Amino acid sequence: MMLQDGSTQLLCLTASSGVPLFTRGASKQLPFSVIGSLNGVHMFGGGQGVVLSGCETEGGGKVVWRVFQDSVMLIAVNGGGQGGVGCSREEEVRLQRLLENVWNCMVLVLGQDELANIRNVERLKRDLRSCFGLIDQMLEERQEGVLGSLTHCADLLLPPNPTLLQEAVDGFAEAADSEFGCLIIHGRIAAATEKWWRLAPQEVVLLSALIRSLSDSASASCDYPVFLPHGSPTVAHRLLRFQLLPGADVCVLCGPSPSLHTAETGLVGRFWAPLVETLRDCLAVGERCVPQAVNLRPDVLALLLINRETRRSVSSVLHPLADAPPPSKARCWELLKLFYIFSTTRYFTQEESVCVSTEESGPRGRANDFARGFSHQPLQCYLVTEECKSYALQTPQHQLFLLFPPSVPTFVLRTAATQTLSDVVAATGL
Amino acid sequence: MSQNPATGSVVVSDWHRCKDGKEYFNKILHRKKRKIFGLLESPVMPPHVAVDTVHYKIFLTGKSGVGKTALAARLTGRNIPNVHYETTGVETTVVFWPVKLRDSGRVLFLRLQLWDCGENALRRFDHLLPSCKEQVDAVLFLFSFTDRTSFDDLPNQISKWTEESAGRLVKLVVGTKFDLFMHCDVAQRDVRDFQETWRLPVLRVGGEVSNGLDDVSPLLNCLAEQLWHHDCVTAGSVGLQQETVTLL
Repeated sequence: MMLQDGSTQLLCLTASSGVPLFTRGASKQLPFSVIGSLNGVHMFGGGQGVVLSGCETEGGGKVVWRVFQDSVMLIAVNGGGQGGVGCSREEEVRLQRLLENVWNCMVLVLGQDELANIRNVERLKRDLRSCFGLIDQMLEERQEGVLGSLTHCADLLLPPNPTLLQEAVDGFAEAADSEFGCLIIHGRIAAATEKWWRLAPQEVVLLSALIRSLSDSASASCDYPVFLPHGSPTVAHRLLRFQLLPGADVCVLCGPSPSLHTAETGLVGRFWAPLVETLRDCLAVGERCVPQAVNLRPDVLALLLINRETRRSVSSVLHPLADAPPPSKARCWELLKLFYIFSTTRYFTQEESVCVSTEESGPRGRANDFARGFSHQPLQCYLVTEECKSYALQTPQHQLFLLFPPSVPTFVLRTAATQTLSDVVAATGL
Repeated sequence: MSQNPATGSVVVSDWHRCKDGKEYFNKILHRKKRKIFGLLESPVMPPHVAVDTVHYKIFLTGKSGVGKTALAARLTGRNIPNVHYETTGVETTVVFWPVKLRDSGRVLFLRLQLWDCGENALRRFDHLLPSCKEQVDAVLFLFSFTDRTSFDDLPNQISKWTEESAGRLVKLVVGTKFDLFMHCDVAQRDVRDFQETWRLPVLRVGGEVSNGLDDVSPLLNCLAEQLWHHDCVTAGSVGLQQETVTLL
């Protein structure tokens, strides 16, 4: 492979003519001839009535293709090798997810019309530049501990005082003539209106990512036109976002009124000034995402709990000691992601989160073959490696993924997992 | 519109270096870096030194890529991103800046809210410009020293705003990327000529963002001076009633 180990490059071309629209990621770009060949081989397949969705190189590199709206082709190339994470199937799922997310970013910023009916390629190229900020964020997965782009479940932060915040979000949204309101703490949703939760899960995740990137820039407020990839791909809404405190953002999706100025001067102080202390308590929950009041077993390294019905999730890496033995915090997040993909591709397969849902979904085939080997639907699975022990379990309503240190006896894992599930669900109502 | 005030005639320049300014400037710093304020926060002085806060809305305009977002970041002491990303909507940034009026010795906190909107977004969505113009107090016209066209377009931009606002607005010109003299495309003579023709202050910014206040104080003080002077002229007297809002 011509790419550096482990780095991912994203190519975007017009589907009909193969004109390159942009490339992102990886410091060293692939040569034009390689890009041409990658497009060519996909086109050749198309001519033979075959949809090429992914392939693997001898060196462990991966390429995945996907065409959107018969108009735009996205190709993701991963260099594989030492820096690459996990084995090839995990990688393929990750890349497929990436393509879907990148397409959603493009629709969010530009709207579907401009992408589906390309009239002027040069102009589209120029306009696509406005998506780079979000796309790069998807490629880099900068923020630790936000798994939404992988799970397509909203990342939550469970606040210690949910009722007060819920009332404030509802009231604030209503006053801003909107049914869609959301409070984001440390990049995760702490409270949202009922309608916000009715948006497609991908949209909730995407909007969270956008708000995170705006929040990182430390601007005080924003008025961003956004298209919703599923709910409103051709008509833009306005996303108003206000930074209440550094790390705490409230936003609403609304129509032509109110203006940013009006909402900021008239509504922000009225609804949120009385809640400054509550917001500070919420910020104090930090990356743990689960209030201190919720007792977790001391031997749990990391957890990811998904509510399958509401498509919400909470994840946490718990490092009680500063000089804790490895794996490090960053590695725990990495392992948690890998274990999630491992479990959902091999065992919990009917879970729609892995379904790339439409036309060409690459990794489905093999995963399904594997699942068909079972006469039953697995409910629990575990994995023991040198670094840690992992345990996953699913019920009709939840999925829980846990990491334990290697020192924990394997026979304890099931009890620990069952107990953690009931403790967290009972304490938080997730 | 009246003559622009001379630099340092309205507010004390370099007040951040003076001893008596220290307690005020400490309120906008946190561990020697600029403090970031959420909308619910503002610098809080002890009760016996109550200070009025004056709010201003400032719009940044200039060609795409000229450095509007970077200027907003610089004025709040944040790091400027290495990669240029287009701003795809309106973003506002709040800068608190204490000033001491030269005549009365009175101290004010200015709350400058900078409105920054990507040029392409303005073009694509009609509702953004009116929202930026709503109750605006000042416009900063940006050009880049490395992009001649951005400089040449200034008269066009300025007259557009002059027609509409009829002197209601404070106007300032800011030249960005002044540090990249190797790629400089706008000569100092041109800037001088421009300044004489239009009688607008032209300020220069560029280079790494330092944590100190030295590199932002000329611009912020100049802006403060213009805004305050303009308010005084509009009100017709010096002891005017300012809208003062103090957030808790």
